[in-house]
Amino acid sequence: MIHMTGVSKVYSNGSVALSDIHVDIEKGDFVFVVGPSGAGKSTFIKLIFREELPTHGQLVVNGRNVTNMPPSEVPYLRRGLGIVFQDYRLLPEKTVYENVAFAMRVIEAPRREIQKRVNSVLDLVGLRDKCRSFPNQLSGGEQQRIAIARAIVNSPVVVIADEPTGNLDPETSWEIMKIFERINKAGTTIVMATHDKTIVDTMRKRVIAIERGRIVRDQMKGVYGYED
Amino acid sequence: MKIRTVEYFVREAVVSLRRNGLMSFASVSTVALSLLILGIFLILVLNLNNMASMLESQVQITVYLNDGLSDLEMRETGTRISKMQGVSQVMFISKDEAMERFKDRLGDQQSLLTALGDTNPLPNAFEVKVDRPERVKSTAQAISQLHGVENAKFGQEVIEQLFTLTKMVRIFGLILIVFLALAALFIISNTIRLTVFARRKEIGIMKYVGATDWFIRWPFLIEGMILGFGGALIAVVILGQTYSAITQQIYASMAFLPLIPENPFIHNISLMLVLVGTAIGALGSTISLKRFMKV
Ligand SMILES: Nc1ncnc2c1ncn2[C@@H]1O[C@H](COP(=O)(O)OP(=O)(O)OP(=O)(O)O)[C@@H](O)[C@H]1O
Ligand SMILES: [Mg+2]
Repeated sequence: MIHMTGVSKVYSNGSVALSDIHVDIEKGDFVFVVGPSGAGKSTFIKLIFREELPTHGQLVVNGRNVTNMPPSEVPYLRRGLGIVFQDYRLLPEKTVYENVAFAMRVIEAPRREIQKRVNSVLDLVGLRDKCRSFPNQLSGGEQQRIAIARAIVNSPVVVIADEPTGNLDPETSWEIMKIFERINKAGTTIVMATHDKTIVDTMRKRVIAIERGRIVRDQMKGVYGYED
Repeated sequence: MKIRTVEYFVREAVVSLRRNGLMSFASVSTVALSLLILGIFLILVLNLNNMASMLESQVQITVYLNDGLSDLEMRETGTRISKMQGVSQVMFISKDEAMERFKDRLGDQQSLLTALGDTNPLPNAFEVKVDRPERVKSTAQAISQLHGVENAKFGQEVIEQLFTLTKMVRIFGLILIVFLALAALFIISNTIRLTVFARRKEIGIMKYVGATDWFIRWPFLIEGMILGFGGALIAVVILGQTYSAITQQIYASMAFLPLIPENPFIHNISLMLVLVGTAIGALGSTISLKRFMKV
């Protein structure tokens, strides 16, 4: 699903965010990416959806070679991915329903399918009854659930999330994680960068630890491994 | 592309236009002003050109022959002239005919002629017409080299002055037009920049969920094109009304002025202005998108 071979990322200002990364993530995996601040977790995530290009090495995502992918193909790579950010990134002037439907509209999905899918993912995140609300009428946790609904509405094979619970209290974070778990059970690969020790230690999924741009640990049923 | 998608693009464009009401208004006005001036200069230049070439096509070369040529020699010169490239008509005017014409022109002042007695000082001549106005000068020069030709004359100065005037109007107009087109381009790309800025979040999300660059671009392109088209439309209406009023006025009072008739002249110019306006709009959008959104 995601294969990195000797991948490095050096930003244009010279800062080395990742070096010589070897990783294979298979379909259905649930992976936490952990590590100290500035270790390179976000960079790792950004490489997967080609927000950034690797400086060296080979990166294959979903059968597509990202390293030498022409820009015109990037949208099609991203249609196979669902992306969730720490800050939700919902459109404030659109309703909940429209925010989710938007992701299908812009890839020109058929109208009837849009209605069906949007309602079904809103059910999945438990917010169908809020479909006419606007984002600023929702709590942070609810907004993040909408963002997740948007990320999965196009049935991606991989969901990547950069600290999706970073702005949420512990209880709300658990609601979010339950949704991820449910999505993962349905066969979707999940890659999530996080600082949340409790979540990682409780869920016991695969853990990839990055320090100063290098993978220092890749552990099945792993733990967080750092003191907060 | 699906109809529904096109609908979506147009709806998004119109929403933006309304959101940036003031800038949209400024853009449309600038485009209208620029295209209005472009149109005025086009009409002016084309009319001047038209006048010049009409005058030229009426211009003939008068070839005065030396005295004392035999009929044969004169006929030979005439044949040579008519064989020259571009010469369309050669007419012989004998000294006697020339005198008749001169008398006609003098009218009731025939008494002036008594001083001449029976002598006729006017030379034999040819009147020569050429097929293309640009040929007048060179043909006249070639003819004056021929055997038996005293000199060959045409209404050189008027035409050359008219041409100089046209050229000046053309250069001045061109500079002004380039300047105004740049101004229109600048203001449209700024308007679109505001739109792009207002929607940068939306654009970012579109990119994350896999919208193609063209899908993202179209609403902005359409917005720019609507601005350009709207401005052009205003310019075209003003120009059409004004030209029609002016031609009517001139036909009534100064019928000799050869103005280009309104149809299809103004239609063609209008079509061109609308195309140029729309293109300026599209270009302005493209500049903004490239610079500020990298799409
Ligand atoms: N756009 C950029 N340009 C230059 N350097 C960058 C850029 N983005 C990140 N970096 C650098 O790359 C390194 C890794 O950054 P990254 O954001 O991947 O860390 P992180 O593990 O996500 O940190 P955090 O836990 O604080 O989010 C850091 O040293 C950072 O300063
Ligand atoms: Mg980060």
